[in-house]
Amino acid sequence: MTDVVIALCPALFWSIYVFGWRSLTLTILAVGSAVGFEYLFQYITKRTITAGDMSAVVTGMLIAFNMPVTAPLWLPVIGSAFAIIIVKQLFGGIGKNIVNPALAARVFLLSWSNIMMAFVQPMTSISPISVTVSSETIDVISTATPLATLKTGMLDQSLLLEKFYGFIPGCIGEISVLMLLLGFIYLLIRKVITPHITMSFILTLAGFTFLYGYLTGNASPFEYMLHHLLSGGLFLGAIFMATDYTTSPFSPSGKIIFGIGCGLLTALIRIFGGYPEGVSFAILIMNSFIWYLDKWTRPRVFGGNPEKAEKKG
Amino acid sequence: MRRTFLGGVHMNEHKNTAKSPIETITPPEYVAIPMQQHIGAPCKPLVNIGDTVLIGQKIGDNPTALSCPIHSSISGTVERMEKRLTTNGSFVEYIVIKNDYKGAVSSELAPHTILLGDTSSEKIIQKVREAGVVGMGGASFPTYAKIQSAIGKASVIIINCAECEPYLTINHRLMLEHPEEIINGTKILMRAAKIKKAIIAIEDNKLDAAEKIADNITDHSLIDVEVFKTKYPQGDERQLIYALSGIELKQGQLPADVGFVIFNAESCAVIYNAFTTGMPLVSKLITVDGECMKSPKNLSVPIGISFKDIIDFCGGLTHNCDRIITGGPMMGVAQWDLNSVAIKATGAILALPALTETEPHCIRCGRCVRACQMHLLPALLAQYASINDFDMCKELNIMSCVECGCCTYICPGKVPIVQHIRNAKQELRARQALKK
Repeated sequence: MTDVVIALCPALFWSIYVFGWRSLTLTILAVGSAVGFEYLFQYITKRTITAGDMSAVVTGMLIAFNMPVTAPLWLPVIGSAFAIIIVKQLFGGIGKNIVNPALAARVFLLSWSNIMMAFVQPMTSISPISVTVSSETIDVISTATPLATLKTGMLDQSLLLEKFYGFIPGCIGEISVLMLLLGFIYLLIRKVITPHITMSFILTLAGFTFLYGYLTGNASPFEYMLHHLLSGGLFLGAIFMATDYTTSPFSPSGKIIFGIGCGLLTALIRIFGGYPEGVSFAILIMNSFIWYLDKWTRPRVFGGNPEKAEKKG
Repeated sequence: MRRTFLGGVHMNEHKNTAKSPIETITPPEYVAIPMQQHIGAPCKPLVNIGDTVLIGQKIGDNPTALSCPIHSSISGTVERMEKRLTTNGSFVEYIVIKNDYKGAVSSELAPHTILLGDTSSEKIIQKVREAGVVGMGGASFPTYAKIQSAIGKASVIIINCAECEPYLTINHRLMLEHPEEIINGTKILMRAAKIKKAIIAIEDNKLDAAEKIADNITDHSLIDVEVFKTKYPQGDERQLIYALSGIELKQGQLPADVGFVIFNAESCAVIYNAFTTGMPLVSKLITVDGECMKSPKNLSVPIGISFKDIIDFCGGLTHNCDRIITGGPMMGVAQWDLNSVAIKATGAILALPALTETEPHCIRCGRCVRACQMHLLPALLAQYASINDFDMCKELNIMSCVECGCCTYICPGKVPIVQHIRNAKQELRARQALKK
């Protein structure tokens, strides 16, 4: 788990650079309250205290990464409480949750949609400690994310390269594809995750959006595809959330099907749904399939299925 | 590319004693020889209390059933016979012999003087049986019966020198110190089983031994050395056959069904010695090691010597010793009594410190799935077994588990997976027995 925290750090540093110290404040609050709620819950219910196992730290970081920098300081605390107490501990604690706690918390926080959609341009100066960010002091609401612009069918003006290294409006942790890829490479080198889910997720979305762009007569389907890949939370979701051990299948083939499912659902929601971003919903929906995927993609037993062998004998 | 198999784990090898030559232990005052050291029917004692016995004298046999004779490992007097509880929960008769320190060898023992080429297969098998040879890798199936079952079915002999368990170095030492015993023993086995091809299987962490063996082989078209990648459990016969030929043994199939028969390296050496000197299986080679053993050694010990005598010879235990394990740390058995004795299947005695206790929890990381050599889903098996859903365990092919322990070794959440699986298998076997 420490490795995942390390892998998330480049994205955090980048967002501090782009959005200022408020990114760090929100992240610390989310992490602190996630660990705190876990400790509190386990203390009150007289369970073994496992709050120090870094798992809650990862959850907290991901919750903060999924909110805009303008979020009020109480938002990460509420998010962590929901993720840790309701999604994780009430289902039995680490390894027992049926969906990714950080993602479930994000979707829960979307009920404050005006807050969750209040994105700012990079390099806007925001107080790192004031509880709320008033929309009167900063022009927040007017900035749509690139993905929202993409939804209307027009390619926005920002360059693809800027999207790649992350100089765009967006959630704290999702803006820089480059920084997230650094984390991905680190996780692969440390063998924390395998590339199956991430790659099949991204490639499926790439294929689908390219095809859609081509079929709808887009002037440049390839560019349309790249905009889809580089905008929104795709890389954050595909690298750090879909690969969560507890909520992904065991076998390589299961992982690939899981990734394809995530990619397809993301594309469908983004293109045909009412909401600009679909990564969170796609992963949460696929989370609920893992028991079936585990069953369907069971590896073949060494020497073949015993029952069949008996019949032959 | 070295030959290997899918799954398994690379582990810390702990081969601390790889450079320790095999020493012969000082003879103990008493030995207690159990009448069952093999798969099959227990032996009936052939001596009475007060009898004088000599080294190599047959003291137990059971000619009527699948069994294997047992010989005295020291000279002395039979002091008593008693039933003792063994680690598998059954009672076995022990013959306790007091040493007279004369070291007198039974006069019935004589070298085999007829040329091997002129000796019939039946004659060799008879001799192997009389020498009390069993599979010495731990399964202890009588070797003569294995040869009989292989005749006409198997076409290749594999001599298993993989020694994939951590700590164990005794086969390594045997290969370095007595390569000719292994090779000549292999030739005797080939003659007995009427097989024209033998392969000596060695992992690549013992390349010095592989070279030594290869240098001593005169005809490489008959006997050859194959080097395997070092990975646990390469020594498992299924994985040896798979790595060699790509054939997967089906559940319930024996190696002979697919043309192979596998013998242990030490069994070869014992057979060779039985032919050259007439001495049956009365001593065992073991590795004595572990963090809590003061001076680890490789030893040749008489069968029936107590663990206490062996540990004393190795300088005793350090104060933090938590348990004594016979065999390798992966599949070995924890002992509760230092009066337990070394038998034909004892390959090692390990003294290990306590593990730090942590609350086990599975985070579904899937490492056990990748490590499983039988390609099962250990994490799910453990979960279903822990809530007593044995039907689901059966559906997930729990009976194919060979209990190699890779899943439990690799588990970052410290879940005792293989223990859960063993419990479930035991329960399922008990249900099967009830049905019948």
